[in-house]
Amino acid sequence: MRDLRFYGLTVLGLVLFPFAIHPIGGYGGLATQILIVGIASIGFNLLLGYAGLLSYGQAMFYGVGGYMALLTVSRFFPDHPNFWLAIVLAVAFVTLMALVIGTLVVRLYGIYFALLTLAFAQMFFFIVFKWRDLTQGDDGLQGIASPPLGLGPWSIDLTTPFPALDLGPFGNLSDLHYWYVFVAIVTLAVLAFMRALVRSQFGETLAAIRENEERSRLIGFDPKLYKLAAFVIAGALTGLAGALRGLYETSIAPDSLTVETSGNFVIFTVIGGVKTLFGPLLGTGLVMYLQNVVSAKTDAWRLIEGIVFVAVIVFLPGGVLGTFGRKRARTDLARAVRAKPETTP
Amino acid sequence: MLDGFVRGLVYVAIALGLTIVFGMLRLVNFAHGAFYAIGAYVGLVVAERLGIVAGLIAAPLFVALFAVAFDRLLLRRFYDKEPTSQILVTFGVAIVVQESLRLIFGGTTRTFPIPQALMAPVNLGFTEYPAYRLAFAAGIAAIVVLVWLFIQRTNYGLIVRAGIRDRTMVQLLGGNVAMASTIVFALGAGLAGLVGAAASPIYSVDPDTGFSFLVPSFVVVVIGGLGSFWGAVLGGLIVGELQSLTTLVLPAASDVVIYVAMALVLLFRPSGLLGESEVIRG
Amino acid sequence: MSDPILETKGLGKRFGAFAANGDIDFSVREGELRAVIGPNGAGKTTFFNLLAGVARPTDGEIYFRGERITHVTGSQRVARGIAKAFQTANIYPDETVLQNCRLAALARVTGFFALEVLRSSRRLAEVDRIANEALELLDLQPLSSERAGDLSHGDKKRLDIAIALATQPRILLLDEPVAGMSLEEVHKTDGLIRGLAKRMTVLLIEHDMTMIMGISDSITVLHQGRILAEGTPAEIRANVTVQEAYLGGHTEGHL
Repeated sequence: MRDLRFYGLTVLGLVLFPFAIHPIGGYGGLATQILIVGIASIGFNLLLGYAGLLSYGQAMFYGVGGYMALLTVSRFFPDHPNFWLAIVLAVAFVTLMALVIGTLVVRLYGIYFALLTLAFAQMFFFIVFKWRDLTQGDDGLQGIASPPLGLGPWSIDLTTPFPALDLGPFGNLSDLHYWYVFVAIVTLAVLAFMRALVRSQFGETLAAIRENEERSRLIGFDPKLYKLAAFVIAGALTGLAGALRGLYETSIAPDSLTVETSGNFVIFTVIGGVKTLFGPLLGTGLVMYLQNVVSAKTDAWRLIEGIVFVAVIVFLPGGVLGTFGRKRARTDLARAVRAKPETTP
Repeated sequence: MLDGFVRGLVYVAIALGLTIVFGMLRLVNFAHGAFYAIGAYVGLVVAERLGIVAGLIAAPLFVALFAVAFDRLLLRRFYDKEPTSQILVTFGVAIVVQESLRLIFGGTTRTFPIPQALMAPVNLGFTEYPAYRLAFAAGIAAIVVLVWLFIQRTNYGLIVRAGIRDRTMVQLLGGNVAMASTIVFALGAGLAGLVGAAASPIYSVDPDTGFSFLVPSFVVVVIGGLGSFWGAVLGGLIVGELQSLTTLVLPAASDVVIYVAMALVLLFRPSGLLGESEVIRG
Repeated sequence: MSDPILETKGLGKRFGAFAANGDIDFSVREGELRAVIGPNGAGKTTFFNLLAGVARPTDGEIYFRGERITHVTGSQRVARGIAKAFQTANIYPDETVLQNCRLAALARVTGFFALEVLRSSRRLAEVDRIANEALELLDLQPLSSERAGDLSHGDKKRLDIAIALATQPRILLLDEPVAGMSLEEVHKTDGLIRGLAKRMTVLLIEHDMTMIMGISDSITVLHQGRILAEGTPAEIRANVTVQEAYLGGHTEGHL
């Protein structure tokens, strides 16, 4: 029954989402963007919320994923641009990246872990920035049309809008493109995967390691390998998001790899709620809404974002969803998020 | 070479505050760059009206006060929390500061008004170098020594050093750890603010300055050793020189090289060159 | 005389100039119940930590069932069959009592790493069986669904032992299992340890002399990080040097 409820509500939410945000100033493109970035935030949440690792370098996977996807289309296989190939190559490359970097990074804890991920991200940023031959440096890659999505005999141009249909305050149906449907399906898959993972044996063990690493070691688990696996999965998800972003925007620039971008994932997830399934999406939606809609009204939007972020950390450590979600979830979260490393009541 | 040295000194001054606060309060302060930025702007504004000296005095004072308020109102709650939440909250405040500065002063770059006399180059025999930068270098060096003396020779410094080892014990013995903590935090902040103001003629100022100096400061602190005084000094100079030397040899790598260095240190010697010390020691 | 199941040669742990453990030649046969006693600061817990792989020795070697395990990590030692229960109960406070044991059993059944990202551990009946068995031995079944962090001190210690048991060890290291327990609990734990000793080798650190003398097959006395004496309870009771060492230390009950 719970499965039905999850899928039912999620599908419903995804279907209604682009229309629901219209009355408050949102639009179809924004909805697509929110979902894409949301996927990366979900990946980040696996690291922070479930594995207890604060990574300040996720942007490297995001940006490299985007560059790889666009380069696959424009440079590696220019004669046969293939949508799936771009995505697969990007994700595969990023996964490998995460495996190598992860092996080095999971040896460290706390601030050292955060700083090392930051260091690697900066390295990649500067490599992308300086390698003009490949990446066009500061200008980035632009105007690379996304190849059509191939599904068996069909070839779907994702930029196709839906037929025009006036929905009153909820905008016009033609505001929505096929891209949204594709991204929504991917988001659903990612959510379903995360849900399964959290309840799985792997998720259970990860939670135990997070709660008491020493004990976990001394009952026979190897915490490093679990953290590495979490790092790789998170990296892959972030890379997938990056690839989607690149193909959707038809362009990418080095700012996808900056500290700011890494910081954004942190902000989105913390505001929405760490250690919750939908929190990262909610946080991403809230803040990107702020960025896109409120920014038109006032220049102070980023300041508001910062203040909300601090307020959440101080007063609502479980994030928005964590505080207003189900009661049991709330107490678990508050305890888990406030817990000191050595928890012995 | 000299440019690298000067840049290195800026890093030293910022890193000092960062490492002192970590060594003393076990606090990871991502808002440290914000202190630098506030100092730069305050110094700018005051100097435009009342002259350089006033600017250089007002900046650290203002930043120190801000730091005390920040500490009392917000940071206290996070002293004993795990580093993750400390990083998050200080990161958040850094953003708030950055954006507030942007709103107040606008996004354009500003430069500090310096009297012509100081802009003139001084003949050093083997090369000519702007007078201001020399004065700056001398100033930073003097400050480093002063801070060192403060920590090693004064009562407050003593309380701080002992307080790191055993907070409760010091409190029982009558030492005011809370006061000493606040003072040292304000000291670190004021230092960053002073450097922010003093360095703004050399490196122009914009709202993003805070973060652009914060990240390399962490590199410095890691390389030198989180919590080590002389580690910050050594680290700062190394990083400054490393950057400028690499620009001569392999310009494309000049930015990356410091992060590679930081990664190497974290992987092979996480305690840094001069080791992580419980007490601030040389 | 059978080969020892656990043996150390010249084992030592130094912190700078201070030697917490020094020059320890220790051996215990399979099935023995060996008590490790000594005044406070004698290095008993350090010794256990070295055996369990929590700490790395600075000198010497450790052998388990004939194999050198000196550089084997703690988690791998658990897989080989060395389990330790902590002096201060080390449990998962936010999980239920049952889940605490299930985690240990899970590690036992699936090994040090399993990338099982889709299926739940509930599909493994073995895990529940082992966990419940351990809980039963420690008489903790009634508390199965309680939150571990809410347990009384004594119950937490028992849970800690149950967790160690759920890893199905060949040799169990108990560090002060009855410290802080009521008389009744001590009695129960005494009976439990005797029962366990029939199925596996047990090493026991304790200060409760009455219990030690009654329960042990043999005793090793540590003093200032080194072995002072070894022998049967009767021999140790009569040993003058041991008595002298204790005059400066602290103990409950009489030798």
